[in-house]
Amino acid sequence: MNLTRDRVRSIGWAVILTVCGALVLALTFRVNAVKSQVMLTERQIVAVKQEKLFLETEFLTRANQQQLKNLNDVEFGYQAPAADQYIEGERQLASLGKPRGPGAPSPIRVAGAGETDDTPALIAMVSPLSGKAIAAEVPAGGVEKPAQASALGERLSRLRGPEASAQ
Amino acid sequence: MTALSVSATVSQGRRQLVNVRERSLLTAKARLLWVAGGFGLLAAGALMRIAYVGVVEPAPASRSLADALTPARGDIVDRRGVPLARAFPAYALWYNPGAMGEGSPLVHSPRQVAEALVRIFPDMDVDQLTARLASGKPGYLRRRVLPEDANRIHDLGEPGLEFPRENERYYPQGSMAAHVLGFVGADGKGRVGMEQVFDEALTDPARRSTPQALSIDTRVQGALEDELGRGMAETNAKGAAGIILDVDTGEVLALASLPSFNPNLIDDAGTPNIFNRVTNQVYELGSTFKPLTVAAAIDAGTVSNMARRYPAGRPISIGGFQIRDSHGMGASLNVPEALIHSSNIVTAQVADELGGERLRQVMQQLGMNQRPYIELPARGFPLWPRGEAKGGLWSRITTMTVSYGHGIAVTPLHLASAYATMVNGGIWRPATLLKVEPGHEPRGRRVFKASTSARMRQLLRLIVADGTGRKADAVGFRVGGKTGSAEKPGAGGYRRTSLVATFAAAFPMDRPRFVVIAMLDEPQGTAATSYQRTAAWNAAPIVGRVVPRIGPLVGVMPDDTRDVDITDLAPLVPGKAEE
Repeated sequence: MNLTRDRVRSIGWAVILTVCGALVLALTFRVNAVKSQVMLTERQIVAVKQEKLFLETEFLTRANQQQLKNLNDVEFGYQAPAADQYIEGERQLASLGKPRGPGAPSPIRVAGAGETDDTPALIAMVSPLSGKAIAAEVPAGGVEKPAQASALGERLSRLRGPEASAQ
Repeated sequence: MTALSVSATVSQGRRQLVNVRERSLLTAKARLLWVAGGFGLLAAGALMRIAYVGVVEPAPASRSLADALTPARGDIVDRRGVPLARAFPAYALWYNPGAMGEGSPLVHSPRQVAEALVRIFPDMDVDQLTARLASGKPGYLRRRVLPEDANRIHDLGEPGLEFPRENERYYPQGSMAAHVLGFVGADGKGRVGMEQVFDEALTDPARRSTPQALSIDTRVQGALEDELGRGMAETNAKGAAGIILDVDTGEVLALASLPSFNPNLIDDAGTPNIFNRVTNQVYELGSTFKPLTVAAAIDAGTVSNMARRYPAGRPISIGGFQIRDSHGMGASLNVPEALIHSSNIVTAQVADELGGERLRQVMQQLGMNQRPYIELPARGFPLWPRGEAKGGLWSRITTMTVSYGHGIAVTPLHLASAYATMVNGGIWRPATLLKVEPGHEPRGRRVFKASTSARMRQLLRLIVADGTGRKADAVGFRVGGKTGSAEKPGAGGYRRTSLVATFAAAFPMDRPRFVVIAMLDEPQGTAATSYQRTAAWNAAPIVGRVVPRIGPLVGVMPDDTRDVDITDLAPLVPGKAEE
């Protein structure tokens, strides 16, 4: 069998064509397979969402206002909180701090660690990652936080002045 | 026989054998070819089929996610997005006699199947069901079946009993807000409430995926229905109605008409309750109109001095009719006292001074001569007094009776809108069941001056602090309001024993946010109300219990260090009123 150059070339073309055809076919199969997968997943999503809707509706039905009310009547007996259970704004807060009336019992004092002048009033918060005080850390932006643990303690301890003098 | 002949015979036989062998081989080869050809064809066919499936045949038609999840009918949600009505694939029980093919449609006898079904659904009738099953006609045996009941039906082992999942309308909150929502009829059309109003939007494929938001708040609605129901049970009332309205936007936060119905199950027992007492039934609401009259008089300038005293010792006779008070309140009363004691005599005089025309105008501006403004289809037309006097004007007696809420019958919703106008600075706005975005509230129309509104807040607060509304005084919520106990008209005049007890309130009075109306239809005197049947004993306590429950939910925190300043009026009211 004598292979001329032309013959080799045409065989080459045929091979390339066949390979390309096979590749196209394979790709088409692949595309359709992925499409089917996507659709299957969509169906699953729809099924799950419908199941979610079903469960949500069941939950809503079992926990509807009337059921909750019946449950509360039988089991808990919770009532709406009264006015004295709310603190709404500074005025109400201030009304709690009225000076002690004549003859009123002295307020209960809770035992605490002895404070000396050199210990800061607040223990600085320490980051569990770096082991350094939070205030000492430099944030990513590079700007140092203005609050310092010692300064904060100082600032808070200043508030004790008038309170201490009132007692 | 010679050897030659023997060998010839042998060689001939051998040749024959070779022939046979060759023929057999040929046959075998031909068969092999056939089989190979068959396989080849099969393989080629399979390959072509694969190629066809892979290339030509389109991928299974995929519906988009959104399509699959769009409900058959849009959801209705409350102002916080809690679903109140949704499309839900519920089970139905369908009888399919063709399921078994030829022969009997059921495995067991119809009687046995009917008995088994009645064990699952005790409300069904055995005989009726037996007849249905024996007739062999397909049809629904039950429109809605619970999943666990569907399992029990499955266990009966009857192929003829099917339970298809069908798209049904479902109301997770049961009978709550039933009058607001309405229901969906068997034809798929919305009925009665917002289901009817939204019908088009809920079924439109383009719009139904977004839920329709109402102004209702489920928690507030629940609290209102709960307390109204309790009040109704305590007083053996025929019915009750309540409404909570935002005074600045006109949004209805809760609207309840009791007894209610279950939109999930429309049956003969529930059908009469579909009637909405809040928007459809008109009542003479009695003394709750007195503050409106006083507000009109203050606005017109005919009442400018709160200390001025009006004679109250004797009934007023006019046109053969006597205007009297429920009990003696002293020889004379000023306006705050008249409101606190709820004096018809003084209110009638205030209205007389004001004049019929001016009162009529104010009532008209408050919308009392029209159906109430709300989206619901069921809206009652008020009984608006005809003008008997010349030129269609109200006669003196009509003016006087209207001033204390008789001779004019409106819905509780009218009253709520009027009270909102009275306390919000004087602007009337239509009530709405649609959620109003902040800044988009309707402009409304001015009915009262802001100064009149401020004075009315003081007076209403005074009534609750010292007057007939004391039982509504929820601590810290600065409630203000007015009681009204009107006799119902019957054959031959008013019936003394059947009352409509109303309490119209607003809170907090230093900056009113919400109007609360509670109404009881024909309450009886019971031990729970100290054998009284007036509003001070039955309707006012309902408001007193509702307000602390809803206040924190709607952003009104109790604060007993705040209140509207009533120090200028307090000296005018020396004693506390009888209830």
